[in-house]
Amino acid sequence: MELSRRGFLKSMGAAGGVAASGVSLDVIAKAAAKAKTSNKDGGRAREVRHLKSGCAICPNFCGIDATVVNGIVRTIYPDAARAEFYNHGICPKGASGMYNVYDPYRLKKPLKRTNPKKGRNEDPGWIEISWEEAFNEIAVRMARIHAYNPSKLIWQHGQGKYLIGENFCKAFTKAFGTPNMSHRTTACEAARHVADELTFANHGILPDLKHSKLLLNFGANYHEGEQASRWLDWQTVMSREQNAMKVVVVEPRLSGCAAKADEWVPVRPGKDPVMLLAMAKVLIDDGTIDEPFLVEYTNAPQLVDASGAIAKDKDGKTPLVWDTVTGAAKPYVAGVKPALKGSYTVEGKPMRTAFQVLADSVKDITPQQAEEVAGVPAATVVRLARLFAKEARIGETIVIDGKKLRYRPAALYTFRGLSAKEHGVQGWRAGLVLNMLVGSPDAVGGLILSKANKTPKYFDVSVCEYPPKRADLAQSVFYPYSNHHIAQTSNLTVQDPKAWGLAYQPEMQIFYGTNRPVSIPNSSLQFDGLAKTYNVVIDVLVTELAMYADIVLPDKTYLESWHFAPTRSTPEAGHSAIRQPMTNPFNLEHDAFSIMWELMKRLNLRDKFAEECNKAWGLKEVKFKPGRDYTTREGVEVIWSDKTRKDFSVALEQGFVGKKKSVKSKYLDGVESAFKGPGKPKMKLYADQLIDTYYKVEEIAKKNGLTKVDLVRYKEAYAPLPTVAHAYPTPHREAKDYPFYVITHKRMYRNQAGFTANNALLNQAIGADAATNYVQLNVATAAQLGVKSGDIVTIETRVGKINGTAEAVQGIRPDTIAVSYHYGRWGAGYSPDAKKGIAINEVLEYHPDLISGHNSFNDTKCKLYKA
Amino acid sequence: MTKFVRLIDQKRCMGCRACAAACAAENYFTPEAPWNSMLEYEVGDYPKVKKIYNTMNCMHCEKPSCKAACDSVGAKAISKNQFGVVLIDYNKCIGCGYCAAVCPYGVPHLNTAVKALYPGKGKNGAETIANADRHPTHRKKAKTAEKCTFCTHKLEQAVADGKTDRIGKDQAYTPSCDLVCPTQARLFGDIDDPNSEVSKRIQATNATQLRKQFGTDPQVYYVLEEGAKS
Repeated sequence: MELSRRGFLKSMGAAGGVAASGVSLDVIAKAAAKAKTSNKDGGRAREVRHLKSGCAICPNFCGIDATVVNGIVRTIYPDAARAEFYNHGICPKGASGMYNVYDPYRLKKPLKRTNPKKGRNEDPGWIEISWEEAFNEIAVRMARIHAYNPSKLIWQHGQGKYLIGENFCKAFTKAFGTPNMSHRTTACEAARHVADELTFANHGILPDLKHSKLLLNFGANYHEGEQASRWLDWQTVMSREQNAMKVVVVEPRLSGCAAKADEWVPVRPGKDPVMLLAMAKVLIDDGTIDEPFLVEYTNAPQLVDASGAIAKDKDGKTPLVWDTVTGAAKPYVAGVKPALKGSYTVEGKPMRTAFQVLADSVKDITPQQAEEVAGVPAATVVRLARLFAKEARIGETIVIDGKKLRYRPAALYTFRGLSAKEHGVQGWRAGLVLNMLVGSPDAVGGLILSKANKTPKYFDVSVCEYPPKRADLAQSVFYPYSNHHIAQTSNLTVQDPKAWGLAYQPEMQIFYGTNRPVSIPNSSLQFDGLAKTYNVVIDVLVTELAMYADIVLPDKTYLESWHFAPTRSTPEAGHSAIRQPMTNPFNLEHDAFSIMWELMKRLNLRDKFAEECNKAWGLKEVKFKPGRDYTTREGVEVIWSDKTRKDFSVALEQGFVGKKKSVKSKYLDGVESAFKGPGKPKMKLYADQLIDTYYKVEEIAKKNGLTKVDLVRYKEAYAPLPTVAHAYPTPHREAKDYPFYVITHKRMYRNQAGFTANNALLNQAIGADAATNYVQLNVATAAQLGVKSGDIVTIETRVGKINGTAEAVQGIRPDTIAVSYHYGRWGAGYSPDAKKGIAINEVLEYHPDLISGHNSFNDTKCKLYKA
Repeated sequence: MTKFVRLIDQKRCMGCRACAAACAAENYFTPEAPWNSMLEYEVGDYPKVKKIYNTMNCMHCEKPSCKAACDSVGAKAISKNQFGVVLIDYNKCIGCGYCAAVCPYGVPHLNTAVKALYPGKGKNGAETIANADRHPTHRKKAKTAEKCTFCTHKLEQAVADGKTDRIGKDQAYTPSCDLVCPTQARLFGDIDDPNSEVSKRIQATNATQLRKQFGTDPQVYYVLEEGAKS
């Protein structure tokens, strides 16, 4: 209906407004002004402070502006100045983050276990001890390990990485002499990073949404999840409204992103690779591919021999292409015009270009096959492929700031949708292949890559270390490209190190800001490992992990501590920031930095720690000096000074300094400079290093009789191009009598697996459904099973059974059920509200990606019935 | 004249509930009486499904049915001030619950008791702040109706500071729910000023009100998502 001001006034029935029968505002205002300056009405004088800082609840690291009244953090708003560089708003967790502080269930004193038995049903028998006693016990044990074999100490962290900075954890473990530091990325998106690294020798991608016309989103759910979300949320909305950008979301459930999209395509869980390969076939058959990009920037023209390896020149290193000028195999140097397609004979051996290998591999992966396997109509597969190619505007250029740039305003993107899988690396590799086919990498409106070719070793064969030195087996023969540590394997290797070739029995683990076992599929396997080591846990609550600790140390929350904060950059801007404390209601003495510092002192490693801090942080001019102590604040001042060359008063007043990216840095410093043209390394359409690594794995496995290496599975996993096999994770092949696919997802109202679960506002103020999770199933499926919303249902997998509350929805595939993370807590430090819901990881099968070590969260199959 | 209204753009809203959380922090939330709620519902049938996120605080109606009911029982605890804000005087409220019964939007809530955020764990955070140190609208009482006030404590501060032109613009003078939205789905401002952001956007988007059939003339406008109920 038309709404005019006149109509509005008319509807009010009077010219000037409704008679206000309440007290006039002038009177109220006078009272307000009076109350501000006096305490005559009985109130205290108000001391009001405003502080700029950073949120650290999730990896968005939003800028915040907090108001502290008489020492109490009253409100947290977004820092308006940060909007230009990152977040325009904050999420409900951030807006209520003060209740992470004001949580009566928090740890305030160190605790020591008196019951030596560790188990789910064991009461640890906690007693409170002094910090002195805690430090002494821990340091004595560490000193003994240090003298004998420092590797026996394992350090693991999760969100802790973002509280004090992983570089301090690196420095700590390096100074101690243990290789064993692992963070949580294989519980998050490590496989996506590794797919990036195999393809462009660095990791990190964002769609250039400001200029995009099409976002083809395979399972990224930034409206409910985390990384870069606060920019992705806002920019997606703005680009849809102001730049006619279309969003298509491909994923099994109606996620937050799917709910707002122009089109939701419910793909069968785990089958995305088949859909993506069928789309590749459509592009290749239609000829709608960016041939110049493929030839000049990628290894598509490189010649592949019958074994699948890239043919090399006499030096054994330089790849060969087929030169169409001379009709011979040559390195791609000036004057050579590589063929993109075709089969050739080189010194009597049959070769194909890498592009030809791709084209041949997808020629039978038809849209009809995608329909059968992935549950997406063939016509939709074709339509989306053609839409992607059309919106990519292959061949077009655009001028921005006087610079002529490749213009490809279509980006295919994912976060965990393609990667949190047994074949997660190959899943995102398939997405990257599609982006390369249309030339979108580092193009205007396309997929912006973090600086291409920053770490060339990712283009090489893996070290395939055996015997492994690290308890988490990172970059060992077992998980050759686990470039981001492996979160879950330490708790498995400690149970039987010899079986993995580990030369020592780890004895002690220090956990910082992580609730590791409940974040990993088949959680029981993790708990079993925890019973084998002496455990120190640094956290804010007694989590499930802490129930297995020998000593628990209370940490400060993000509103109570100093930090040189990590930040998120966007394609448009970056910034450096600090976090500063605004309260300490429980008078906590330590945070993880000061705990580390104290331990290093007691081990006579303080100066070595300081030296390693300088290296880990890459400090150049302003450094940690030997021979003195540093408080956490002093440490932040050192790093701020070196990184920003600005006075610390700027950090205290503004919280951050930001920088806009130039057109050159955004579009010309990546693939254009790293890969384009003759004589340069190439981004990998064809990940030949995978097949080379497979051969190395095969050799090592056979030589050492490694029964844990199933070579058939490794050969399949280490394919240089994604295949149909990557749409068939182990449960799909084996769990035949389990008809439903189980998928998991994040929700906006809790973060990860611990420290937001007690937040009273999140649990009570924003809707009862935020305090618990549900077993989501399709309404038709529910009807068939005789299940209504609110019924208790059993999810039964090959791992075990768990009961949850059903929620029948339209927004999920009929063959799929979805349960979010974050709920069903049972540790002693949780409020009753935190215990609602179910912990789905308990019953998921454990099948890590053999390339990256990333956990499979979305491949399990189950039975479902009324409990 | 000055009349404050809110615009909520459902097309931009992603349902995160940051607005609800911010309101709860700002306004001393007590467990039985949220001032800002989210209604989420699906439209369509699988696979053509969308989701609507409909957040609602008080509509600060021009013809508030809550006030009519309260006047009719003689309590006269509900008023509408010259900014258009509908307010409950807790000291006059008799706890009859009629306002909650007649509101077409389910806005007023009654606390049966002022319950703790963490039962059995004493007072935590803002709970420790004495009533004397709180704005009157934050002095919660048992068996008393309460609801969104358009953060009147901030509007009053703007008047006291001589900054009414900064209402809807500065964080200190804008309702907290309207500050935190990650997708800028909410606007607050003066509809009597045709040049205000909120006036311009209401016009440009043809924004409407919910449940107009009840005739209360709500002062919160919505840009409706496709398929949303009004």
